[in-house]
Amino acid sequence: MQPLRIALAQTAPRLGLLDENLASHHALIGQARAGGAGLVVFPELGLTGYLLQDLAAEVAMRLDDPRLLELAAATASDGPAGLSAIVSFVEESADHRLFIAVALLEDGRVRHVQRKLFLPTYGLFDERRFFAAGDLLRATPSRLGVGVGLTVCEDFWHLGVPQLLALDGAQLLVNVSSSPGRDLAALNEIGLGTATSWRMLLRTYAQLTTSFVVFVNRVGVDESISFWGGSEVIGPNGEAVFSAPLYDEGLYFVDVDLGDVRRERIALPLLRDERLELAVRELNRIVSERAGQADDSTSEPGAEPGLDVAAR
Amino acid sequence: MSAIGDGRSMPTGAGLFDLPPELAIDTDVARRVIAEFVRGQLRQAGFERAIVGLSGGIDSALVAYLVAEAIGAERLLCLMLPYRTSASSSRTDAETVVERLGCAGELVEISPMVDAYFGRPDTGLVGAAGPEGLTASAVRRGNVMARIRMTVLYDRSVTWGGLVVGTSNKTEALIGYTTIFGDAASALNPIGDLYKSQVRQVAAAIGVPETIIRKAPSADLWPGQTDETEAGFSYPELDRLLFWLVDRRRSVEELEAKGFAPGLVQWALKAIAGSEFKRQVAPIAKLGPRTAGVDYLYPRRRPGSART
Repeated sequence: MQPLRIALAQTAPRLGLLDENLASHHALIGQARAGGAGLVVFPELGLTGYLLQDLAAEVAMRLDDPRLLELAAATASDGPAGLSAIVSFVEESADHRLFIAVALLEDGRVRHVQRKLFLPTYGLFDERRFFAAGDLLRATPSRLGVGVGLTVCEDFWHLGVPQLLALDGAQLLVNVSSSPGRDLAALNEIGLGTATSWRMLLRTYAQLTTSFVVFVNRVGVDESISFWGGSEVIGPNGEAVFSAPLYDEGLYFVDVDLGDVRRERIALPLLRDERLELAVRELNRIVSERAGQADDSTSEPGAEPGLDVAAR
Repeated sequence: MSAIGDGRSMPTGAGLFDLPPELAIDTDVARRVIAEFVRGQLRQAGFERAIVGLSGGIDSALVAYLVAEAIGAERLLCLMLPYRTSASSSRTDAETVVERLGCAGELVEISPMVDAYFGRPDTGLVGAAGPEGLTASAVRRGNVMARIRMTVLYDRSVTWGGLVVGTSNKTEALIGYTTIFGDAASALNPIGDLYKSQVRQVAAAIGVPETIIRKAPSADLWPGQTDETEAGFSYPELDRLLFWLVDRRRSVEELEAKGFAPGLVQWALKAIAGSEFKRQVAPIAKLGPRTAGVDYLYPRRRPGSART
């Protein structure tokens, strides 16, 4: 048994009010600790709110910002029971780029920072206008005794991300989100197209990476957009351990056995059987072909470089 | 309601109205989202109350029900704003909504305001618009009535201490069947992303009186007027067309292949393009380094924006 109690902070951040959100994070970290949690996870931009536009620069923090360090200090262990916290904010780099960042805080310090890699700039999203995209993807060790992979919302809509994190050592994949609910429908599982799509991919990633997947999505309203919550913990066999209600703010506690990862990976050794060299070789080939540096031996006449099929 | 395989029920109009299947939504989720939206907008703006103009029609009745569900009827003021020629049934239906909800309701006759401007064609009394105002078209008169109603709503929003909640639905906003700065104005709009058919669906679920759901939609500008006879469409068909065109991004060719009449498709495309100006904030000539709406972009509800 490797028991872990996870607290899902399905919060409604106040837009642009960093101090208020910091205060609620401190309060919820205290509640998570009092509830016996070993890990508490907050949503994307939980410290700032989502629809910031030009406010982004006004709520940005450097990684040595005293307010962030003070929040990290709240995870210092008092006695045997430690607490890890995953929080999200606007990070300003030394060269003044703004990133949507998610950080693992534990043992009183900032253990790891992951910058959002994929910034949706289509439909109702306009993130690339206001933010820079991260370039690094790394799993991180943790005091929890498993590797942790941090991702932010849209990062999980790119198939390679969960796989790369699992191959890099993550056994616990965390996605923090500010997912706007949309596409109301009558006949799907829960009446909301966005939720149905997310639930499908969370289960699929958990199964294909044989890892725990922790998804924390915010609630509340920024301007026209309502965030739907529905935070979840999915086991390494792809089955939901816990599903939080849609739209209800709350701190939800979920008990998992991290030993399930080993059991699932022994029974279903998908990661063992991955062919990294094959993937790298073929990716390099496609990159070369797209750059016009290599001929594509399998392409039709008229196809774009790197694409095998011509436009019709 | 008819049962389908998985035990959930397929929403239909239940005989009250025609609900195209592709437009059916989960009304529980819709009501939940809208309630959070109304509460969030009010809280962020520093208000606890709301005000709605009730016409007696389904859109404003539904908005009143949704606002009452979100913040409680005691925080809602409904204003009835009839003109002399408004149907008496409109007023009766609006009064029914106020009674059923138990919210505050007030009657403000707009006839003196409208007549003071256009004059009285029946008595020959000339108004502020001069003699020409006596022969003003129905469209002009309708636009002025809509703007006077909104003037009253915004004035009473001060004395009531509540935000004006809009009642324009997605169908009429897309085809431009609204008066800019009149019924199209508001501080927040909870039903602006619902087609008329979906308005009917949510209205039935939340308990809007059946007489209001059943009656033909009308701007009530002259006796017997209805939207569908005036503009020559049926709402379920127009809603379906708009859904496939706008939400599902179908081309004209694909729409016609789906069986939509080419005339209706062309009419809708023209109506949508021609009313784009009604759905957007007016453009500002770009001159300085930062210009509102262009490269000075803040959320409406930013820190410090709430009324204190």
